[in-house]
Amino acid sequence: MDQNMISFKGNKDGIYIQIKEGDFNLIKNQLINKLETTKEFFQGAKVVDIKGGHLLEEEFNILVSLIEEFGIEVEIVEKELIEEDIEEILPFDGIDIGNTKFLRHTLRSGQRVEFDGNIVVLGDTNPGSVIVAKGNIIIMGALRGIAHAGSDGNKEAIVAAFQMKPNQLRIADIIARSPDNEILSPQWPEIAKIKDNTVMIEPYLQKK
Amino acid sequence: MSEVIVITSGKGGVGKTTSSANIATGLAMDGNKVVVVDADIGLRNLDVVMGLENRIVYDIVDIVEGVCRLKQGLIKDKRYDGLCLLPAAQTKDKTAVSPKQMQDLTEELKKIFDYVIIDCPAGIEQGFQNAIAGADKAIVVTTPEISAVRDADRIIGLLEAKGIYDPKLIINRIRNDMVKRGDMMNIDDMIDILAIDLLGIVPDDESIVISTNKGEPVVTDDKALAGQAYRNITKRIQGEEVPLLNLDVDENVFSKLKKIFFGK
Repeated sequence: MDQNMISFKGNKDGIYIQIKEGDFNLIKNQLINKLETTKEFFQGAKVVDIKGGHLLEEEFNILVSLIEEFGIEVEIVEKELIEEDIEEILPFDGIDIGNTKFLRHTLRSGQRVEFDGNIVVLGDTNPGSVIVAKGNIIIMGALRGIAHAGSDGNKEAIVAAFQMKPNQLRIADIIARSPDNEILSPQWPEIAKIKDNTVMIEPYLQKK
Repeated sequence: MSEVIVITSGKGGVGKTTSSANIATGLAMDGNKVVVVDADIGLRNLDVVMGLENRIVYDIVDIVEGVCRLKQGLIKDKRYDGLCLLPAAQTKDKTAVSPKQMQDLTEELKKIFDYVIIDCPAGIEQGFQNAIAGADKAIVVTTPEISAVRDADRIIGLLEAKGIYDPKLIINRIRNDMVKRGDMMNIDDMIDILAIDLLGIVPDDESIVISTNKGEPVVTDDKALAGQAYRNITKRIQGEEVPLLNLDVDENVFSKLKKIFFGK
């Protein structure tokens, strides 16, 4: 049995749902399962069309009301308009090569920076500041605030800083906080990444 | 019967946050279930004073906006089981919460805790209005300076206008040697002006600075004079009769203790 009769795709107008040809009940059940697991991700999104599957009009309407039950807006757009720019919705994939925001100042308490890509800070980030990036975070200075890399779920994202003294480090959905006691922090740059579902901090330069 | 107590002053820097942390910790030391709420959105400090800054994931704004459940936002103290902190948001401002939302929030907290202590921000604007919205009782903190007493007087008037009568007074940072020389306002003068009940006096003590920097409320320090003062205050909040130190007795006790500790 084909497990993946349904896939969610997106373009600049919104999301549309691609359906393979098959039994309508199977399609319905798979759609429910899929919405069940992803409803938080699609919160506030707009479904613009349901394609494929040779649906009858009433079957189509059943699926539309099903989606609306999950609190997702449905607004069918004319089919000709949405043929272009189609791509699968995935977490930000630019952690090797991708959009990067550069901040050329110190981030102070209460300041928050969010970006759909990588963030590089040419300065320090102080306690009480928050940086949220879908990609990597690089601090060319001291990291003393909160840094959240891979904020849309990318566990490959990293946080690196010349001085790693964060309040908290978050990568994807994993949170680590620094210990309560003063720790002797090393004098060399460090990198934080996920290993075995915990945040690991290690030097990123091979010691000579 | 649980109660909501707001700790306020009008003037900044007189010791609201220090008093909130110590009173909440003191009440928890006596076995009560206590939550201390930081209402100073945008300039939060209470988490630092209590040494819990690293543990903040959600804050008060996340809770009122429904981003997380109430219990997810509460941070358990590392020393006392019955004590929780509800931190303020740092990246928002006072308008992020409305008085009505604070009222609903304190109602929820009352169901779980014996005491809800609210650390009020300085000023009389929306932050203050939010902080007192759900309060049953108030504690006004002042220092022996004319400016602080003037602001405290204004605050007492505003509290009464909002239906919070009979607030209690904490006089913070008393320096006995200066009072004796007549260089500092004495306690009777202040009570004369403010005309409210005295809950306690806290001496100006180095150990407050040390404990604040360490993130450990001074009330847990058996040796500190200020710690003793806060322990007395928490006893009185719980309805125990602890003799209020009047200035004369005060002098003797303070100077004796000072001799023991500092060898003066």
